[in-house]
Amino acid sequence: MDLEKFKGKRAQEEMIGFALIIILVAVILLVFLGISLKSPQKENVESYEVGSFVQAFLQYTTDCRDSNDLEYLSIKDLIFYCNKGEKCSDNKDTCEILNSTLTGITEESWKIEGDRPVKGYELNITRDAEEILLIKEGNATKNYKSSMQDFSKSGNSFKIFFTAYY
Amino acid sequence: MRKAQLKIQQMAFMLMAVTLFFVLVGIFILAFHLSSLKSSATEIEEKNALLLVTKIANSPEFSCGEAFGGEKIDCIDADKVMMLKQNIDSYERASSNPEETFWGVGTNIEIRKIYPKTGVEEICGLGNYPNCNVIKIGSGEMPAEYSNFALLCRKDSYEGKIYDKCELAKIMISYKDWGAE
Repeated sequence: MDLEKFKGKRAQEEMIGFALIIILVAVILLVFLGISLKSPQKENVESYEVGSFVQAFLQYTTDCRDSNDLEYLSIKDLIFYCNKGEKCSDNKDTCEILNSTLTGITEESWKIEGDRPVKGYELNITRDAEEILLIKEGNATKNYKSSMQDFSKSGNSFKIFFTAYY
Repeated sequence: MRKAQLKIQQMAFMLMAVTLFFVLVGIFILAFHLSSLKSSATEIEEKNALLLVTKIANSPEFSCGEAFGGEKIDCIDADKVMMLKQNIDSYERASSNPEETFWGVGTNIEIRKIYPKTGVEEICGLGNYPNCNVIKIGSGEMPAEYSNFALLCRKDSYEGKIYDKCELAKIMISYKDWGAE
């Protein structure tokens, strides 16, 4: 009687052991499945986009011709001309042209309305830590990518900061 | 003797059951791996497109070089790209795979002018250039893409004088989505 009881208990233990192995393997499989299905997410704004944007807009050819009517000025040139208070050949204010061109460029490049991934942006140009121009649109969220470009001319140090929020 | 035989039989059944179980688990893992091959291939194409988009504007086929007054970063020579577009066949003949372009499998390149803002989308050809806003290299669709900002420069004239005209553009690189097939 005792022997049969002992045999039954051992069989139960073996069954429990087998069930434990199955549960363990199933858990490992689930973990493996979870890791495999977690694919990397594509970033809303990539760092290189922000850097290339600043590099590209600085060389953009504006509608302003220099006072000698020789050549069209780039945004970078326009920053220097605005700093010196010079005018375009058609007597337009260089700072106004700089502001309107950069507003247009940022509006067209970083659209923020509706369900767009970009929620806002900020463009700041400074001369020796003094703000020359600030263009700010949308909301400043916790996720952002920034780029900074600096250059100097005639003893002045210019810095351009651009941040895209997403 | 009979009891020992029974034990051996019991052990044999147990070993068979355990082996069968692990074989089934192995088959499951193998099936899963094989099914994820397509997504792995897409991921590789995606990485290729991402790397390409960050450097393509500075590659010899696209870059401005010193044609627009000194070295410019992320600057695309629009005139050069138009010529490349006309001669793209000789580039695509570089591979025996008909789907593979010079830049990779399923890779199409598109350059879109962003600013100054232009109205309707007009694809550039020799007939309408430069009064157009999209330059397409490669005839395929753009199902999935990466993009980057670039400067699109060309030579223009004003009162008979030639000058450099640089506009803001976005360069887009498509990659093949193997999962979509």
